[in-house]
Amino acid sequence: MRVTQSMVAANSLRNINKSYGSMAQYLEQLSTGKKITKASDDPVIAQKGMYYRTSLNEVEQYKRNLSEVYLWMDNSEASMDQGNKSFQRIRELMIQAKNDTNETTDREAIAKEIAQLKEDLVSVANTQVAGRYIFNGTSVNTAPVTSDANGVVVNSENDPYLVEVSRGIQLKANADPSQLFSQELFNTIGEIERELSEDDMDLDSLLQKFDGLVTTFSAERSDLGARYNRLELLESRIDNQEVLAKKVLSENEDVDMEKVYTDFITQESVHRAALQMGASIIQPSLVDFLR
Amino acid sequence: MTSTFHGLETARRGLTTQQAALYVVGQNVANANTLGYSHQRVNMAAETAYPNPGMNREQIPGQMGTGVKAGSIQRVRESFLDVQYRSESTKLGYWTGRAEGLSKIEDVMDELKGTGLSDSIDSFWQSIQDLATNSVNSGGKAVVRERGIALADTFTYLNSSLNMVRSDLKNELNVTVEKANSMLGSIDQLNKQIAAIEPHGYLPNDLYDSRDLLIDELSSMMNIKVDYVKNGGNSQAQAMGSAVIKLNNGTAEPLTLVDSTTVNPIALMFNGEDGAVDTISIGGNAVPTATFISEGMLLSLLQTYGYTNTEGKLAGDLPDMIKELDHMAYTFATEFNKVHKDGLSAKELAAWKTALESDPAAKIEDFNEDILFFTDEYNADPQNVKGFASRIRISDEIKESYDYIANASVATPNDGDASNLLKLADVFYEKLNYKDALADSSPAAEKESLGAYLQSIIGTLAVKTEQADRLSVNSATLLQNVSDRRSSVSAVSLDEEMTNMVQFQQAYNASARMITMIDECLDKIINGLGVGGR
Repeated sequence: MRVTQSMVAANSLRNINKSYGSMAQYLEQLSTGKKITKASDDPVIAQKGMYYRTSLNEVEQYKRNLSEVYLWMDNSEASMDQGNKSFQRIRELMIQAKNDTNETTDREAIAKEIAQLKEDLVSVANTQVAGRYIFNGTSVNTAPVTSDANGVVVNSENDPYLVEVSRGIQLKANADPSQLFSQELFNTIGEIERELSEDDMDLDSLLQKFDGLVTTFSAERSDLGARYNRLELLESRIDNQEVLAKKVLSENEDVDMEKVYTDFITQESVHRAALQMGASIIQPSLVDFLR
Repeated sequence: MTSTFHGLETARRGLTTQQAALYVVGQNVANANTLGYSHQRVNMAAETAYPNPGMNREQIPGQMGTGVKAGSIQRVRESFLDVQYRSESTKLGYWTGRAEGLSKIEDVMDELKGTGLSDSIDSFWQSIQDLATNSVNSGGKAVVRERGIALADTFTYLNSSLNMVRSDLKNELNVTVEKANSMLGSIDQLNKQIAAIEPHGYLPNDLYDSRDLLIDELSSMMNIKVDYVKNGGNSQAQAMGSAVIKLNNGTAEPLTLVDSTTVNPIALMFNGEDGAVDTISIGGNAVPTATFISEGMLLSLLQTYGYTNTEGKLAGDLPDMIKELDHMAYTFATEFNKVHKDGLSAKELAAWKTALESDPAAKIEDFNEDILFFTDEYNADPQNVKGFASRIRISDEIKESYDYIANASVATPNDGDASNLLKLADVFYEKLNYKDALADSSPAAEKESLGAYLQSIIGTLAVKTEQADRLSVNSATLLQNVSDRRSSVSAVSLDEEMTNMVQFQQAYNASARMITMIDECLDKIINGLGVGGR
């Protein structure tokens, strides 16, 4: 084959270009840390990347939703604990009041304390978290219990406050106020107060009734506890999912630095060779040897 | 009996012919780097020997050579390689054009940098989820509104960017056609010059080179077929004649672009839907774009920009992508609005609660207004799929107050209820008919969720771009191979020229030496003979 100067020049220029192009690609990979910069570099990686990123977003979102459920449940639990203490105190006072050695003044004092405890329960029932009433279903802007001179009026709703914690899975974040702070509860406490001011008092049936209400309260509390356990389980699962999603995303599109760097070094030596060759093109031709 | 001066004449012929060959060497060396130049050589031939046969021929022992002549000066070129080169150049032109056009679309539809449509969709969904955990939070509502605006803006931005690329491509199409027409004109000029020279028995090598270079360039724009017609007169056998260039367009009769007398310029008619090209006129012939399949840069530009297909409809990568965006925006907005209309916003709930104070029997259903989230122009439901991505916006109500965002459902009409927000979040997962927004009869298998549909569009685009990239690299390699072979035949080799130079110079010197020798012989006859009587 006849070889001409222009052929050699064009070929060597092309080779230098090609190896420089590869160097540029490795350099881009090293500086961005990503295998691809355009979707067409590798359509499969690009398409998978879009999907994985969306799933990671989703998992992160559900994780954020979980913290809202925690907020509700932790606050509900704390409020219920406080309510429970009031219940215990009311019961203690009732037992104490049943004792016939009590003077009228003693019973009045007990009635007054019970009245205070009732008000305390009203405020527990009206617990707000970040400006929202947590014991009124989804009517978070209105207080479930109102207390004035005429007594306590309960107007609570018990719609579940649902938070999505996984695609299609919604977790109830609130407790059922009808089981916790019912009209009956406040009526009973009111009756207890009134009964204490009477001479011929009959606290036994009221105590029985009150105990029944406390049981209902505790049942709802353990229900919340059970849901809390499920929440923790869900959290650990979502944490796992997050780790997995991040790992898959990274494996899909992040470069293996060691490998790319090694490739880069290899390519660099190829490029040096190409340049060397380019420099040798300007070799003497026959012209230099003719006199 | 040969002439007394026979030897002198033979040597003189040697001198002039070797000198001509040396001049051609000079021309070759001077043009070693000229684009399209093929190296030339002098075809030397022995002159007619003496005597000629005939009745009165001289009776001498044999025919005596009479020297050399420069038969012709010919360029060294292989036309078969030209045909190959042009066919590869056509493919390269086509695939380079495809790769460039598709990568322009890909640059606009960039989903890797974290600023694409899928990111707008994801963050809109996230804002709805955030609001759903705390649906009375005004901050959350404001975020939903802003992210909704951002999503609408992303659609309009993508639409306008694609349209901008499209108008750039229209310019490129016009420039390409103009360039092709100017090349056709130049080829015609060269044809005429060549036709004026060839009948005189000359070979206009440099004009041939210029013409071939133009034809090479033209071949990257469209698939052409080149024939040659002889110019007659006293033309040499090696004379190429006039080039007749025809457009190869599948099985149809090739249309003539240039022949020995006329030029048929190309013109594009932008009379299709949305300014698409519907006809290509060549001379007086109209070729509908649906039947124009001549590969090359022109076809690739048409396929990206938009042309009228066999069904008379708009087709092409850019119009298709613009259409996909319209369909996505329309289908999603319509479905999102449907759910949003059913829901209750803080404003609607407040109106109901006020009414309840005077009329305890007031029904929530009567207070459920049809508030839109996304609207077309004039605050209405999406009317027309075409161009919707450029018109999508947030409804005036929501723009006025984010308390119009519908969080609750009619079944649970409370401020803190988020059931409608969760339904809105589900619209993102709902498998909808994004392929054809208006025909809702597609089978379930063709329905996709918004994210998945976008992924499939981006995936398809990426695969197409990758293929075009690969094929353009492949055809570039093939073209390079052919080009190397052509260089091997036609390009100037300095070593070869130098060798030739030495060879011709030596022959010249030897011819000169012959003259000296014959001079001495003649001197002997004229001055040395007959001294006997002196």
